[in-house]
Amino acid sequence: MDPIPGTGAASLRALLVETGEYLCALPVNQVRQVVRALPIHPLPGASPELLGLAEFTGEPIPVLDLGRLVGAPPAARPANPVTVVVWAGPPHARELVGLAADAALEIVEIAPADVAAAGPGLVGGEVALGGRPTCLLNLEALGTA
Amino acid sequence: MARPGDALPRSPLIGLFLMIALAAIAMISLAIGMAHGTPNWVAYLVLPIGAALFGLYVLFAFLPHLAQARELAEAEAAARALEQQLGLAIADLQAGDLVATLAHAEELPPRLAALVANASRALGALVQQIQNSSIEVAASGSTVNATASELAAGSSQQAAGVVEITATMEELARTAAQIAANAASQAELAAQSEQSGDAGALAVEDALHGVEEVQKRISGIADRADTLGARSKEIYRVLELITEIAQETHLLSLNATIEAAAAGEHGRRFSVVADEVRRLAQRSQESVASVRSLLDEFAGSIRTTVVATEEGSKEAARVLERARSAAAAIADLRGALADTARAAREISLATQQQRTASDQVVLTLKEVSQVIQRMAQGLKHFSATSERLHQLALSIQLLTQSFRLDSPRSLKNLGERWAGEVALRAGHWEALGPQMEDVVRQSPFVELAFVADMNGNVVASSANPEWVAEGTETTSVTAGLNAKERPWFQAVARDGRCVITPLYQSLLTGERCFTVAAPVRDARGALLGVMGLDVNARSWTKI
Repeated sequence: MDPIPGTGAASLRALLVETGEYLCALPVNQVRQVVRALPIHPLPGASPELLGLAEFTGEPIPVLDLGRLVGAPPAARPANPVTVVVWAGPPHARELVGLAADAALEIVEIAPADVAAAGPGLVGGEVALGGRPTCLLNLEALGTA
Repeated sequence: MARPGDALPRSPLIGLFLMIALAAIAMISLAIGMAHGTPNWVAYLVLPIGAALFGLYVLFAFLPHLAQARELAEAEAAARALEQQLGLAIADLQAGDLVATLAHAEELPPRLAALVANASRALGALVQQIQNSSIEVAASGSTVNATASELAAGSSQQAAGVVEITATMEELARTAAQIAANAASQAELAAQSEQSGDAGALAVEDALHGVEEVQKRISGIADRADTLGARSKEIYRVLELITEIAQETHLLSLNATIEAAAAGEHGRRFSVVADEVRRLAQRSQESVASVRSLLDEFAGSIRTTVVATEEGSKEAARVLERARSAAAAIADLRGALADTARAAREISLATQQQRTASDQVVLTLKEVSQVIQRMAQGLKHFSATSERLHQLALSIQLLTQSFRLDSPRSLKNLGERWAGEVALRAGHWEALGPQMEDVVRQSPFVELAFVADMNGNVVASSANPEWVAEGTETTSVTAGLNAKERPWFQAVARDGRCVITPLYQSLLTGERCFTVAAPVRDARGALLGVMGLDVNARSWTKI
């Protein structure tokens, strides 16, 4: 788990989002912006995770279904859906990707000791926040996934 | 035909006288001639003349006289035979046996036979007519009797009905009085109810005004609730706007935090501000949620109020409708009560009149009852008279049956005919049973047919099943009966003619009957026995 860039601190700041019945923590340094759910233009023949393309700051970005990516059971229709624009992929070849989530909750601090490593995939680890299990996402692995 | 004592008997005397006169003249002349000694020419003249006259007398007077005397004797014999035949015919006529009269009349000279036959037939026709008339009179008497009995029964029923109607009318009169009293009470009650109805109508009218006022107020509440509902919707829209702003602020704060994090150490203070902003946005959202919750409750209350006011308004409308219906009903009731009071008064008056009328009807019915009773008594007399008429007809019938006619309704002729058939089996009395059965079967008015021999023993008999139970032994009646002691047997044995007895009580049926007794003769006319037919008096009209 990478520390907060430039601080050298051991804690991790992450954006806590809700998708389906899961909570997901996205490293803040990989989040570009949180916006209201962007209008999506579906792509014919695309995989189920790829909802389509959306316009962000004048550029088209792909929008992925975060719930499908982490395998979260769908919940009720969200009141305030959001699109989290993140940097995905390895540092030398990262690109902007939109993640469709049900709600952006808050910025949290995660102690590395609380994180249980999961593996090399998108879900890099798991942590319990407020008694609820939370997936700590490894967005660098998103580009290679 | 010459008769004794006519001119013929006198002619021989005249002739003899002339002969004697001529002989005397001749003798005198001869004597005178002999006295004078001279022949007397007178004597010579008279003698031939006298002889000639004598010859003429014998030829023309005496011989015809002898012939006439023979004819006279024959005529007298014929007259005696005629007298005998005529006597027999008249004797038959006297005995009422017109059949035998006709048989004897056939032996009379044709003119006399025709006269006797015509007289016998005329008498027979008259008797038959009387017979038929007596049957018709009896039948009419029976019909009148039956009708009188029916009328008597009907009048009895009428009398009973009149008594019942009288009782009913009296009860009706009493009931009418009671109804009149009840109707008067009802009229009074109706008048009181009418007054209560007036008070009720006023109360209902007040209630109506009150309900209308309540309805107006409920309507005002409903209008205000609608206004509040509309304002609540505006508040919802404002809250949604605030929520959107808070959401936007929340996202801005998150982005600010993200940007601050990207700015590294320089952004740390900004990050704190962003975090405060995020908290503020979150509190705004929480406040909005609280307000929304309160507003939801408020809106729910308003909706409840609206629903309540709508229901209240509807209920008020229903109450109003009911109140109006009640007012209308009370108005109708007042009218009905007024009508009831009027009708009760009219009923009271009418029932009083009805009682008067009922009393009059009762009086009339009593008079009718008396008339019916008198009529019933008259019908009883009428019935007795018709019974006497029936008996009279039976007496006439019995009188006419004393004649034997060549008619199927002549009992004597019937008895003679059956006796003739019995005579064919004379000496074989045991073979007469079926014949006696034929007699009662062909003659429904005969209750018992029997044959008694000359010793008075009943040798054959048969009872009519129509009058006695089939199979009834007649020997209980005939056994020990010595017919020789019975007047009918004696009359038949004495006169050799069929006889009819007066009415008497039958030993077999206990009813009144009479017996037709006919002689049973052999081929030579010798009496072998007597056949009897007991005719039931109740069925004689079937003859």
